[in-house]
Amino acid sequence: MTPRRLNCAPATATERVRFNVCIDIGGTFTDCVVADDAGTVEIFKSPTTPGQFELGFMDALALAAAHHGLELPAFLATCERIVHGTTVSTNALVEGKTVPTGFLCNKGHPDILTFREAPRKRCFDFRLDYPKPYVPRQMTAEIGGRIDAQGREHVPLVENDVRAAVDMLQRRSVQAIAVCFLWSTVNPAHELRARAIVHEMWPEVSVTLSHELNPIPREYRRAISTAIDASLHPIVSAYTKALAGALEANGFDTDHFLVATCTGGMMPPDAIVAKPIFSVMSGPTLAPVAAQHLTNAPDVVVVDMGGTTFDVAAIRDRRLIVNDEAMIGDDMLGIPKVDVRSVGAGGGSIAWVDVGGMIQVGPQSASAQPGPACYGLGGTEPTVTDANVVLGLIDPDDFLGGRMHLDAAAAEKAVGTLGQMLGLGLIETALTIHTTSNHNMIAAIEDITVMEGINPRESFLVAGGGAIGCHIGGIARELGIRRFMLPRFAAGLSAFGGLISTIKWEQATTVFSIAEDFALAAVNEALVSMRRKGAAFLERAGLEPETHHFECVFFGRYEFQSWEIEVPFDAAGGQLVEADIAKLTADFHRLHERIYGVKDEEDSVEFVSWKVRAFGEVARLKGDSDRVEQTYMPASEGQRTIFLSDPETPLAAQFYRTKNISSGAVIDGPAVIADDTTTIVIHPGSVATADENGNLVVVQA
Amino acid sequence: MAGNPQIESEGYTLEPMMLAVLSRRFEAICREMTNGILKASRSAVIKNARDFSVGILTHDHRLISVEDGLPIHITALDLTTRAIDRLFDDIGEGDAFLNNCPYYGATHHADLDVIVPVYFEGRIMFWALVRCHHADMGAPLPTTYLPHAATIYEEGLHFPGVRVEEGYKSKADILRIGLTKIRASKIWLGDYRAQLGACRIGEQRLKELVERHGSTMIEDFIEDWITYGERRTKAAIASLPAGTWSYATKHDPVPGVAEDGIPVRVTVTVDPEAGEVTVDARDNIDCVPGGLNLSEATATASCRIGVFVNLDPSIPHNEGSARCINVLLRDGCVVGRPAYPVGTSVATTNVNDRLINAVACCFAQMGSPHGIAEGGGMMASGLAVISGDDPLRGGRAYVNQLFVGYSGGPGIHGHDGWLTYNDADTCGMLMLDSVEVDEGMYPILIEERGVAPDTMGHGRWDGAPAMTGIYGPLAAEMTAIYCSDGDVAAARGVLGGHDGAPSCNWKRDGAGGWTEMPSFHTEICQPGEALRFLAGGGGGYGNPKERAPERVVETVNRGWLSAERAEATYAVKLRISEDGLDYVLDDTATAQLRTSNGD
Repeated sequence: MTPRRLNCAPATATERVRFNVCIDIGGTFTDCVVADDAGTVEIFKSPTTPGQFELGFMDALALAAAHHGLELPAFLATCERIVHGTTVSTNALVEGKTVPTGFLCNKGHPDILTFREAPRKRCFDFRLDYPKPYVPRQMTAEIGGRIDAQGREHVPLVENDVRAAVDMLQRRSVQAIAVCFLWSTVNPAHELRARAIVHEMWPEVSVTLSHELNPIPREYRRAISTAIDASLHPIVSAYTKALAGALEANGFDTDHFLVATCTGGMMPPDAIVAKPIFSVMSGPTLAPVAAQHLTNAPDVVVVDMGGTTFDVAAIRDRRLIVNDEAMIGDDMLGIPKVDVRSVGAGGGSIAWVDVGGMIQVGPQSASAQPGPACYGLGGTEPTVTDANVVLGLIDPDDFLGGRMHLDAAAAEKAVGTLGQMLGLGLIETALTIHTTSNHNMIAAIEDITVMEGINPRESFLVAGGGAIGCHIGGIARELGIRRFMLPRFAAGLSAFGGLISTIKWEQATTVFSIAEDFALAAVNEALVSMRRKGAAFLERAGLEPETHHFECVFFGRYEFQSWEIEVPFDAAGGQLVEADIAKLTADFHRLHERIYGVKDEEDSVEFVSWKVRAFGEVARLKGDSDRVEQTYMPASEGQRTIFLSDPETPLAAQFYRTKNISSGAVIDGPAVIADDTTTIVIHPGSVATADENGNLVVVQA
Repeated sequence: MAGNPQIESEGYTLEPMMLAVLSRRFEAICREMTNGILKASRSAVIKNARDFSVGILTHDHRLISVEDGLPIHITALDLTTRAIDRLFDDIGEGDAFLNNCPYYGATHHADLDVIVPVYFEGRIMFWALVRCHHADMGAPLPTTYLPHAATIYEEGLHFPGVRVEEGYKSKADILRIGLTKIRASKIWLGDYRAQLGACRIGEQRLKELVERHGSTMIEDFIEDWITYGERRTKAAIASLPAGTWSYATKHDPVPGVAEDGIPVRVTVTVDPEAGEVTVDARDNIDCVPGGLNLSEATATASCRIGVFVNLDPSIPHNEGSARCINVLLRDGCVVGRPAYPVGTSVATTNVNDRLINAVACCFAQMGSPHGIAEGGGMMASGLAVISGDDPLRGGRAYVNQLFVGYSGGPGIHGHDGWLTYNDADTCGMLMLDSVEVDEGMYPILIEERGVAPDTMGHGRWDGAPAMTGIYGPLAAEMTAIYCSDGDVAAARGVLGGHDGAPSCNWKRDGAGGWTEMPSFHTEICQPGEALRFLAGGGGGYGNPKERAPERVVETVNRGWLSAERAEATYAVKLRISEDGLDYVLDDTATAQLRTSNGD
């Protein structure tokens, strides 16, 4: 398919051009965004291939290679780096398709995953079912042995309990085993020995140990992250190996292949295989990262509507919101995660009629296969995309730049059949589907803004995803949002985020001491070691030392507090000197007062752990501002008849192609703007202006 | 709004969108205050079990926002701020007040309120409040709960509305009272500071909110929000049958205080047309010579809680909803307004939980699908206050209430009981102690903690099973004090549902032998000895023989119910699956069994 370009530099297939790539696999499409070292950006979309995701992944790369007139290996040889955002683990969790997992815990504590920390619910509410544990009790095995809080062995490990558990779990056909013993963070001997026994009996089963994955106190949080991680391990391992294998087969150095994590950082394939829980929501996390680069607005709502899901995130005071207590279904994830929430609403969402005779849209999706009825791939149920075809918003002969022809008759048949069940006309039914879908998405936006006390009306909205262009106008209108942006690369917003994002790495080390007896040597040893590892990570990923910078923080608390606060500090040359200790202490008091409203300068400060973050700056793209020098009215390329609100009143919309619109173009609604990745509908009364990067900023009357 | 019932726009000053945004903003402020206490506090009872609540009230003491607190803490909050208003005529910006005195609107001496006035343009616009449970408030014994304390002179410290900060400056002399009279006072001071900090954060956020939207819009919002709470409550009451229902229950005997137990009876009258419920708790005995009497704040709150659990839980629990419930209390009554200086040390739990259960169960007398069963008995030794000296920390003293093992929640039409219920006054809103946090902070070892099989009240919808567990000192002598109600009178089922299992307490001696312990008791354990608790199971709702057989199979397979009981109680016949791993339903035998049971 024809690529889209950020600037006018011609794309030539010379040896000297180097590319950066980000590939985001969504439920329906695999997006590939490519930037060359001149800052030219192109996007390619290929259908996602469930079951063998590496095929769609390589298809998308092949499209990029072909565009540059190169064979895939030759193209890959010019790629500096491939960043990857994936939904494989999120989908497995949401659809309950993780592998059957066994859980080993201390004897006498079989209900850690059931009790949790007592699940939160509404006050006074008993009209709800208590949530089931992540691992069923039948697949939980109690193991004799106990370490106490000081790390002493209170009861020796009962090795036969482990053997009996392995036998039971084999009979129950688990594919992974999670082990979480009390105080393994202080003394891991029992967890380590348990794994050795498991592997003696059953070498091929994957085992996750809690102290290695997530060495935090509070057994539930550690246990649940361990169980989730274990249950994802075979899936993410097979997936990552398939991708890395396909890249290697085409000559790509997989040291330069990085997977985006839920914390907003990146990990190489071997690390993500070792800790697959960090790949949860990896792709969607890149969308707010992209929005951070696209606008300077302080409060931003970021939405991304793909074929299967609708993801919402918010930026507050220009910062990503990180949630330490993020939930996946009924459980905590147990590790921090950028707050992105996902609902089943997309172009492929299926419309149906419930028992009460009311129309519902989703959460079921026609996904990539069979896809909407109009794809002609065997789908017969009406989807949101089918409704949009009926409404004239999507031109069946001009979908994805004409690369894919849609079957308008099939869309009408699917929508019409549903209409008959409701006694509605064709257009009326399509409008109902379209509007219902909008309201599902509005509810999701409200969930993260209104519920958090952010007024969406006072926020800027950045809208991404291939299906968003037909819907965002209606959604913004309903929410009372006056201005929003459809970025040039809206159709691959997450992938674009991966391309422009700083490459991030972080690690923490526990070195406990108090201010009065500060462990200076041990702290410095940890800081130096982490900094060295961070630099090695960045170099391995192809980032030169001059692009690196480092951030140091410590986690401190007052005596008897059990939560720490994160305090940033400067360490010249990466190490602390004696004189720094007083400053660290003062900074802690000050920050404690800012966060919690109080400080106690007479109390002693406990320094619990230390973290180094390493950043590698990637080349900046050209002109990432939204200034517009001069405006003009582009010439329309024809008219289309569309329906937006009243089935009796078709609107005559002016039609434009993105490739013929340049910086400063001003388009009044009603209008339809199409290109090869998406279709954008401008409502009557709204005005769209193209900025110099080709982003559209829409202002509603 | 998403996930919310439709907000009727008629009669409101604000448009529905703003009403929703601002209500969430108040909740977000409460959440930030809550998070501050959770993260900055020191004692396990607060940071691990979440035994605290925050609230925001208007200048004239109308409750605005509370949705994430403990029911007993938040349902009559206005009494404590009213007292401050009444006691002082020179309140200024930057003041903060302490109150834990039940004769000035507090719940009981262990719940210490920190209250700050929030000023805007020179006048008080709000009261921000944090109520935390402190394991030690300087009582003669190292505990929160003193069942034998007949007067407040036998209780711990009282701060009857005391100014602790003036112009944002702390009064060292007032704090010195606490630091001198409270055990482990450094932890107490840290907890107090976390409370104060949360109030100051709340104050700051409320000011920002008013500055952003203007005081007119915020004042309009408050009126609208309270009206909304009232409308929703009236609508919910309108769907109930009209009539009067009574229910009686009884707290277990307490030696030296109430040898025959303490009966609690209430009458509930529903007037659907007026949208009002009247709870009459006057027909009860006078105050007992001990600490089991309720305070006015807890008696009022409990009568409301018993109604609220029977209404749609998405109703905002603010002034508007509270005023739909008429609470009738009597002076000098064990569940009414005690006469100074009667002791109320145990006012938030025991008899109080019986009162909530009695009110809530009145609704079950209306017949299915109304009402709810009794929740499990409370305060077995899984909730003991433990104390001693910690040899791992240089012999420093410790005092803390454990929240290790909870009673099971009541069955309700359509749902089994909530597992981490604990008791009626908290409605499952406490967090359950993390074993590692408890063991990391105190010299104890929690050997076991899990679900106790066969302890639920069986029903068409089961009560939740109880928790059981074993813990003891790791290094030096440990004192445990507890007030276990439900050892005699277990939680009763309703409408054919069975009773939950009673609670029980045991001690293991150095040789490994077990002895049953009294219900209201102080026990000293040496290293090597241990206590075992069994909390109470929740009462069942409806006839267990009508329970969906699939649910019975699931309960057996998760280890909560024995196959024998499944057959005897639920008339569900099970067999082992072909792979020998799980139980499966024997449809035919079950159908026969259920037919031959003749119902």
